[in-house]
Order: sequence, then C-alpha cells, then structure tokens
Amino acid sequence: MTQAVDPGRPGGSGSSRPAGAGAMAAIVALAAGLLLTAGSALAVRSWTSTAAEHLLEPEKEKPKVAIADQAEVAYCTPQFKQVLERVLHSCGLAAEGEGARRGCKPADVKTFASISDDDFNALFTPLKDRGGVLMFDEGRDELDERGKKLLEERWYARKGARYFFVVARASKTGSPSKNNALSHRRANSVMFFLKQLSNDPEIEQKVGLLWLGNEFAQLSKEYCSWPNSRADEKCDDEPINRSAFVSWVDCRL
Amino acid sequence: MFSRGSKAPAIIALVASVLGLIFASNSTLDYAAHLDRRLHNVHCSFIPGASAVPEAEACRAAMYSPYSALLKDQYWGGIPISLFGLGAFCFFAAFSLYLLLNGERTSRRTLAFFALVGTTPLLVSLLMLTISITQLGQVCKTCAGIYISSALLAFGAVAAWLSARMDSTRPTVSFALVPAWLVALCATALAPAVVYAASAPDQRPFITQCGEIKQAKIKGDNPVRVRGSHAVQPTMLFEDPLCPTCKAFHDRLVTENIIEKLDIELVLFPLDNDCNWMLDSALHPGACIVSKAVLCGEGNARQVLEWAYDQQEYLTRAGKAGENTLRSVIKQRWGESLLRCVDDKKTDVRLNNHLHFASENNIPVSTPQMYLGKRRVCDEDTDLGLRFTLAQLSPEVLK
Repeated sequence: MTQAVDPGRPGGSGSSRPAGAGAMAAIVALAAGLLLTAGSALAVRSWTSTAAEHLLEPEKEKPKVAIADQAEVAYCTPQFKQVLERVLHSCGLAAEGEGARRGCKPADVKTFASISDDDFNALFTPLKDRGGVLMFDEGRDELDERGKKLLEERWYARKGARYFFVVARASKTGSPSKNNALSHRRANSVMFFLKQLSNDPEIEQKVGLLWLGNEFAQLSKEYCSWPNSRADEKCDDEPINRSAFVSWVDCRL
Repeated sequence: MFSRGSKAPAIIALVASVLGLIFASNSTLDYAAHLDRRLHNVHCSFIPGASAVPEAEACRAAMYSPYSALLKDQYWGGIPISLFGLGAFCFFAAFSLYLLLNGERTSRRTLAFFALVGTTPLLVSLLMLTISITQLGQVCKTCAGIYISSALLAFGAVAAWLSARMDSTRPTVSFALVPAWLVALCATALAPAVVYAASAPDQRPFITQCGEIKQAKIKGDNPVRVRGSHAVQPTMLFEDPLCPTCKAFHDRLVTENIIEKLDIELVLFPLDNDCNWMLDSALHPGACIVSKAVLCGEGNARQVLEWAYDQQEYLTRAGKAGENTLRSVIKQRWGESLLRCVDDKKTDVRLNNHLHFASENNIPVSTPQMYLGKRRVCDEDTDLGLRFTLAQLSPEVLK
C-alpha cells in the first residue's frame, strides 16, 4: 500500500515527511493485516484442533437417551414376572415354528407356577382395571356379543404391552376332565375371535393361553366386582368361573 | 455528508470491519466446535462477544442449512462461509486502518478501490439475508451482526470515496497496485478456509459407529411409504410430525433434493405420552393425532406430513389447546373421511404397531432418526454432516 506523492500538494514535493508517513501507514496497515490474518488462521487451527481432541475423548457428561422398550409398570414384581416367564416358555409363546405347543393346561400350570391357587390369583390383582372377565353360559364356549365387545376394547388398549394373557376357567359343576376341555375351548374361542379381529400374522407370539378347568386357581365371588361382560347379571362363585380373564400385561419379559 | 479530509468514514469502516471480524469469528467458532460431533451452545446475539447460549434456534437453523457452507460433500459440515468473511474482514480492517493513518494523502484510486471491494460483503450479505428470509424463514442474530457490519463497512468505504472524489489535490498511485490489493484480499479471504480444510478432523471413522436396526422393515400393512421420484436408497425414517428437529431435517432433505433419491419407509414415533408409553409427559402434545392423520394419508402421506411440518407451530398450539381443537384443524384441511380414519381403532392399532416396532428394535427415544438400509445414521450426521455422510455411505443419493 505504498503511494506516489502528489508533487502539487503543499509540502508534498521534495518533502520526505509525507512520503515517509504514508509508507509508515502502509507498513502499519500491512503489519496489522498480516497479524489479523495470521491470528484468524491460528484461531481456526486451534478451534479445529480442540474439536479433533474432543472427538477422540469420551464425552464425560453425555446426555442419556432413553431406549425404546415395552412398558414396565409397578405390578411387574419379580414373582409376577417369574410366573409369566414360565407361562411364556412352558406354554409355547416363546417357542417358534410350526408345531410349537400352544397354551397350558391345569397340570402344566400347577407344575410351572409352583405357587398356591390364591397366590396365583393374587398376582393378577393389579390387572383388575387393565383386564376384563369374559363370561360364558354354563357348559358353553361361545363368546356372546358383550363378551366380544369387552374383548375388543381390551385388545385395542394395548399401549406398550407385549403379551396378552387369556386365563380360561370352568365352574365346579361337572368332572375335571370335562371342565378341562371346556375351559380349553373357551380359551380357543377367545383366540379365534382375536385372530379374526386383528388379522395379525404374529398373534401366536402375542397371546398366551392358559386353561385351568376347575382344578386350579378358582375365582372367589369377590372377583364379580371386576370388569366383566355380564355386569348386570347375578354373579357368585359359579358364574365367575365360567369365564376367561383377558388382559395385556405391561411387563418386560 | 462528511467534510473533505474527515477521518470519520475510515473510522466507521474500521469499526465495521472489527465488528464483522468478531461476528464472523463467533460464527466460525460455533461451526468448528461442532466438529467434535457433540451438542454445543451457539453464539446468537447482536452484542459482539456475547457468550454462546443453548436457546439459539435461528442461528442453529442457519448453521444446519445447506447455505451455511461450501463443499459439504467433501468435508464434514463443509467449509463454513463465515471463514471467508473472517479473512475478508481482516483485509478490510487493515485497509481501513491504512486509510485512517494516511488521511488525506490517500489517493482517489485507492479510495475508489476500497469503495468497490468494500461493498462486496454487503452484496453477499444481501444475498444471504434474502436466503434467510425466503428459505429459512428466520434471520439469525449473529448473521445479522455480519450483515450490519457489512452495511457499515460499505457505507464507510463509499463515504470515504465520495468525500475525496472531487479532491484533485490528492496524490495518485499506480494502477498496478489494484491487482496486488485484489490478490491480497483473495489471499486473506481464503487463508482461514484453507487452514480449516487442512486441519478439520477426519470424520469417516465415526459415521459408521451408530449401530444397525434389527429389523429392516416394519411388518404387515403398517408401513408408510414415501418413495422419491428417483429413489435409489432404501431408507427408514423415524419421525414425529410435531418435532421441530424433524421438520428441519425434512426441510434439508427436500431443499437438497435428497428426498427424491430415497425410498423411505416412514415410522411414526410421536413424542406424546397420549399414545407413546415410553414418555412420562408429552414433549409434543397432539403428536399422536397428527401421526394418525399421516397414517391415514396413505398415498398422500408425504403431503400430510409436509402440511404438518408447514403448520407445525399452529398444530402445536392446537395440540396444547386440546384434542378437539386439533381434530377440527385436521378436518378443516383434510376433510371428514380422513378424520374418520383418525378416529378408527384400527388406526390406533397401526400407530401402536409403529411404536412397538421402535421398541422391538430398541432404538433411542428421539426423533428424527435415519437408517440407510439397516445402518443408523448418527444424529450429528443428520444435520451438519448430512451430505458428507451420504457421500460416504450412499454416494448415489447425491448424484
């Protein structure tokens, strides 16, 4: 940024002072320019180097991101999960492929649950409002319209649950073998309706069937207060066991 | 305006250059800091030297936009244009200092040169301002600081020239100095960018470190397909129609014409605890209903999604106002039949299946997420590093 000195200018011609001042201005500006440019370049180099160092260091306060998973609510106690896991493995839900066993009969449940009838029922108490009791006519296994409606409502309220449990029973009337078969058919009726409703090819991996006949974990009449498909009808120890309890279970199993 | 021999124009130009230097430094620093692939606060203030803040949406949006940098395919995040401003303002600061020190001894040619080149930052600023307003819909304060500095610089430079234009007593300089100054301007403008390009860390080892999804496809009749006109890359996107980051990401895909090269399977992942059990409270109230509207869009799913993004602020307010408000907004835009579909239990099940797909794959609870085939694109590679990452992992998308 040097300049020629205008000879017409007062003090310009023949005077070395303005030319010297101009040169000085140019030198100062040039030095400032170089300094600023070098400073900027060094700053940039420093910023990228710092970033490169951070890149190789593990982040100390890395914000934790939740991982998507099925629901897990308070009633999923270790004991509850233990029983349900046994159901999963013993009753075929966790098995894959054709020919895999589907469902559990009373003897199986007794064996794998390894708990008393009352304790078994108590495990399901937290599911009172999540689930529902589908009532059947005596000796019958067909779901009526009210049963289908309640089942549909409960099925669509899946939220974060992975497994849907169906626990079918039969009342005391009749022989154990007959009631065993009857509760099995009731469980199958529920499954059949769910297959129609959902059109889900993977439904076998979602629904766990247990049929208890009248041999294990009979319900007391206190369970009549649970949401059921025949709330307006008389209910006691007999009708409440002519039923299938259905519920999604919000536990990671 | 200024008297002959006034030093005010040079002072204005010098102050403007220093201000521009500070704002460009802040902008560059923000950009460079993100090279470590972490989240950082961003400088976003009219006050030079103000510290970086976490709430800086406009500045962040500008930084993530395709207009913030050059050569994005070759360098992770590209070469930020603020680097050229940084270098150029160094030159202008030095030149202004020279004018100030040299005063009336400065030739008219020198001042004419300065007036000419001193307006170039303003021209670039006007271009960037137009882009900010028309493309981004907002102006970042740091950028505005650069624009204002550029305007001041142009004013000072032109004023200096005008005040000396009629002054025939000024000395002359050789025309040969003009190309020399231009070379100096180019060199200073390029120097920081060259240093940045040479020293920016290699991101290639990191872009493949974010894992894979277990299931590449959502089953049954659940998928929402958004197939671009020249789709070459199977892609899965997890999005929430009321998530601002998803909107910004979607806008990037559209603006950079990347979306047309993608065969997208859209998985709706509303961050609203009305349907999403993975959250204790709703981050985006109403997102479940809007997600169902997208599902019900079927062949027009992209249009519904883009409508939701366009109207995001309004829909978010409607979502906070209540379900019925939101439903009436949807009905008004998309009609009764789509609303019926939104209310259908089967749509609930479908959305629930999307959420279960996310949980079965144990993906992070955040949106947006992008998977190229099964490979997860890291979050930091969906914004600044998007083009570079695509150039590395799926170059055909950028062709």
